[in-house]
Amino acid sequence: MSKCKGMFRGGGSALVWPIILLLCLTSNFNRNILPVAEAIWLTIPSSGTKCVSEEIQNNVVVLADYYVIDENNPDHIPTVSARVTSPYGNNLHQNTNATHGQFAFTTSEAGNYLACFWKDGSHQQDAELTLGLDWRIGIAAKDWDSVAKKDKIEGVELVLRRLEGAVQAIHGNLIYLKDREAEMREVSERTNARVAWFSIMSLGVCIVVSLVQLWYLKRYFIKKKLI
Amino acid sequence: MENRWGKMLALMGLLLLNWVSNVSSLSVTVNEVECVYEYVLYEGDTVSGNFVVVDHDIFWSSDHPGIDFDVTSPGGNTVHSLKGTSGDKFEFKAPRSGMYKFCFHNPYSTPETVSFYIHVGHIPTEHDLAKDEHLDPINVKIAELREALESVTAEQKYLKARDARHRHTNESTRKRVIGYTVAEYIMLALASALQVVYIRRLFSKSVAYNRV
Repeated sequence: MSKCKGMFRGGGSALVWPIILLLCLTSNFNRNILPVAEAIWLTIPSSGTKCVSEEIQNNVVVLADYYVIDENNPDHIPTVSARVTSPYGNNLHQNTNATHGQFAFTTSEAGNYLACFWKDGSHQQDAELTLGLDWRIGIAAKDWDSVAKKDKIEGVELVLRRLEGAVQAIHGNLIYLKDREAEMREVSERTNARVAWFSIMSLGVCIVVSLVQLWYLKRYFIKKKLI
Repeated sequence: MENRWGKMLALMGLLLLNWVSNVSSLSVTVNEVECVYEYVLYEGDTVSGNFVVVDHDIFWSSDHPGIDFDVTSPGGNTVHSLKGTSGDKFEFKAPRSGMYKFCFHNPYSTPETVSFYIHVGHIPTEHDLAKDEHLDPINVKIAELREALESVTAEQKYLKARDARHRHTNESTRKRVIGYTVAEYIMLALASALQVVYIRRLFSKSVAYNRV
């Protein structure tokens, strides 16, 4: 909102300020006034949980915001409960009976992070709930407003800084994909070698077992004086 | 004139700072149908994205039967649809602004995990501004550059999801090789032991003396 206040200090044409106000209202700073294209909406079933997950590397910032959307009943908004678990089972965030909430953490282990939402017991109607979820990781979670304030940059320079951040994130992702591919290639080659080795060994096991059979039966028949 | 240019630049800056952002590539489990909604701010925006079925536990068919995917506009029409695919990219131009519905349909009984990514990209045009404002070409170029970088990021997320699925298949192959080979050896030894036991029984005295 501070940017909007700065704008209003100067004069200007009558048409510019309503447009700026509209932009301020639809911008990232005031989400509750007008929903903007930042989040996906999910439907929470009337019974059961809805879970979303993502596979995240180590040491990545995760920032998420969730809010209940209910156009039918604005004064009696249903509540949800949320739980976020790390790949090793630790509970990173737990919240019950809320219409909105947010959580932020830095990942300490690589793996599948799960966020589950379910309807609270007090509202047992059959209607499904709509939940808006704004889930950002890595470079998308960076707070550019504080960077702009700290370095005193704005406008085109700030946008170009963001683009530079995006390019660095792309580079980091490429290196990650390359490492994953190397790991997988190793596993594939090991499996390939094992298939050959185990098949030959299976032939060997077959021959050994039939030789043992023959030796045992010969011994048995000699003992029974049949041969 | 300078004051006007400064205000216009600030206006442009504000417009661009309204970063029409995207979400990370989330995974969701599809039992029968799973829908995700995303809001498109401007008519004519390019909505792009991809999805990959990550976790298919088909036992011995190498061909995944696939899931169906369709996009419904706020007016109720189906804007885009894909049938029987195990992962694909999509892109379309939004005919109007509003809430779009992206649905995955799973025609089979086994639940599937789908990893998806949706991005709404906007390039500022003359329509976004008031009548007396002019479009600065640098802002259009910056928006195009941003969209190009987003498409690279989207491609990377697609590759990451496909890599995850490939890794899942590899792990399954590794486990199957070890498990089934050990089981095969044990079954072989067991079968030959049973053979020996059977032959012994044939020659035993209690059945019938020297009948064989």
